[in-house]
Amino acid sequence: MATAASLIRPPRAALLLLLLALSFSLSLAAHFEGFDSDDLHSAHADDAASADGDDDEGLEVELPPPPPISLSTSSPSPPVTTTTSSSASNPNPDPNPTRATPNPTPALDLWDEDEFEGIPVPEATSSDESSAPAEAAPSDPVADAAAEAAPAPPGRAAGRRPAELLRAYSVEIACVSFLICFLLNYFTGKRQNEAIALAWATRFATRDSIFDKNFSLLGTGDGKDTPLLMKEGQDVFKFYASGRRFCQGMLATMEMRARHDLLSKLVELVFPRKDTITFEVVMNEETMDHVVLAVARKKAAKTMQKEERDLQRFAGVLTSAPAGRRWVADELAVVAESKEVAGDMITEAVLDQVLGDKAFEKFGKWFISLHFSDQLAGSYKKVLSFKFVLPDASNMAEMTRLVALVPYYIDLIGRYKLSSHARSKTEGARSKAAQEAFREQQGLRQEALQRKKAEKKKLMEEAEAKLSAEALRKKEEKDRARQMKKSMPKVKMLRS
Amino acid sequence: MKEAASSGGGSAGGSDPRMASTARPYTPPKLSPQDLPIDYAGFLAVVFGVVGVMLRYKVCSWIAIIFCAQSLANMKNFENDLKQLSMAFMFAVMGLVTNYLGPPRPGSTKR
Repeated sequence: MATAASLIRPPRAALLLLLLALSFSLSLAAHFEGFDSDDLHSAHADDAASADGDDDEGLEVELPPPPPISLSTSSPSPPVTTTTSSSASNPNPDPNPTRATPNPTPALDLWDEDEFEGIPVPEATSSDESSAPAEAAPSDPVADAAAEAAPAPPGRAAGRRPAELLRAYSVEIACVSFLICFLLNYFTGKRQNEAIALAWATRFATRDSIFDKNFSLLGTGDGKDTPLLMKEGQDVFKFYASGRRFCQGMLATMEMRARHDLLSKLVELVFPRKDTITFEVVMNEETMDHVVLAVARKKAAKTMQKEERDLQRFAGVLTSAPAGRRWVADELAVVAESKEVAGDMITEAVLDQVLGDKAFEKFGKWFISLHFSDQLAGSYKKVLSFKFVLPDASNMAEMTRLVALVPYYIDLIGRYKLSSHARSKTEGARSKAAQEAFREQQGLRQEALQRKKAEKKKLMEEAEAKLSAEALRKKEEKDRARQMKKSMPKVKMLRS
Repeated sequence: MKEAASSGGGSAGGSDPRMASTARPYTPPKLSPQDLPIDYAGFLAVVFGVVGVMLRYKVCSWIAIIFCAQSLANMKNFENDLKQLSMAFMFAVMGLVTNYLGPPRPGSTKR
């Protein structure tokens, strides 16, 4: 028993010596940047406790590596490992194991801020940073933050954990996933828009439909098997029809929501939009009389009256209905040149079908505006414009009444003649507008002429400046001679 | 109007309103480049692409790529929009290449 005790004691003494040596080396290491003396003391205490517990077993102590004293911030130094093994046969191991003695001169004592301006300060780097891939180089602040936040455990120094990788490449992952979503949304949105446009065309532009019965030419081509719809973008479709009395042609433009564009979809969450269809009918010059009229919801009517030049010049918002007549729904406002025109255009049939109180409750959600004008600013002067909301592909039948307004108004306006009293008023307004337009044009012409004259003068002056002194003298002599000739009395020669 | 709604608006006066003799084939309006709507996505793509290349910001280059995709999706006038779009895409790709494969940005080392 005593022998056993005597066998146990020498290794314990050796261990104590070893721990003293370790504590000495670590206390020296504490002078370097990145080491904290408090942490080291607690580490020694832990080591001592574990050493007391393990009597006969071999003890392995890993020392942290001394920091590299160099300007590179990415090369790690291998850890110095001191291994001691106690056994019964060797009771007196060497009390001074080999250890790396640190440089007594600290690295930063020799560092001069002014002399080495711009060169990074030397410091210890974690093995985690060095194992980072090239992508997460110092240029990536996200990767830097991730590297600083969580140093890798000793077992996984070579590879990074998935959580760290996610954090390091969060921008890339977000952008690539957004692009994938964008691509998927592009195809689904495109298909949705095409479905709505085709549903509209199937309902109103195919054989025996409303437009087939009203126009001899449907579609953008002049052949038989030409496409009905023309696709201008993923969200814009056009339908053209021509060959009807009173008008040159009709162009229907479907402007859908940008379902194919994910960014626009996100914007539409804040500023909602609706699918719209605009019918523009170009009337024949001789068939349309003096008519300027617009019908829209009150707010929209006011903005139309401010923005549209023809409404601004010739029309005003009607405050009351024509005497003894049913009128449009309360939500709507009428902007017209005169009450007579408004009364003649908004007929009982129109009120019954769409614009009256009862009908508007049902179909008002699809109505946006009507705008008829013989004084429209643009390539065509006499145009009827209808703007409606497009329903879903499944509810396309709900706008049948609204679409029926188009041929109805073509015929109504084509046949319409103003009374002589109203006509005299409208003609006065139009002649006044024509005079104003003429004055404007004249002013523009004069400005252009003056500009030309000024330019000519400039060119002449430049040319004169370029002429040499001799040429100038000759020119002056010529001018003088010309003036002398002018000033001399005119002598008439008479033959006797 | 009631009749028009039911019969497809065919006749206000009973006769067939169609006149084949007056039919004109569709001629698209000639639009000058000034009249075309502004391609904001393309413009932003160029801006972000240039910033990404010059200031070495990865995020800007990625945003430029996204705006390029939007501009491509909304392209209506192929000839006019393609120049701007190709330039934006070139800047965006150049930015990504220089950021990922080029040398690290100066002054980005930790102190």
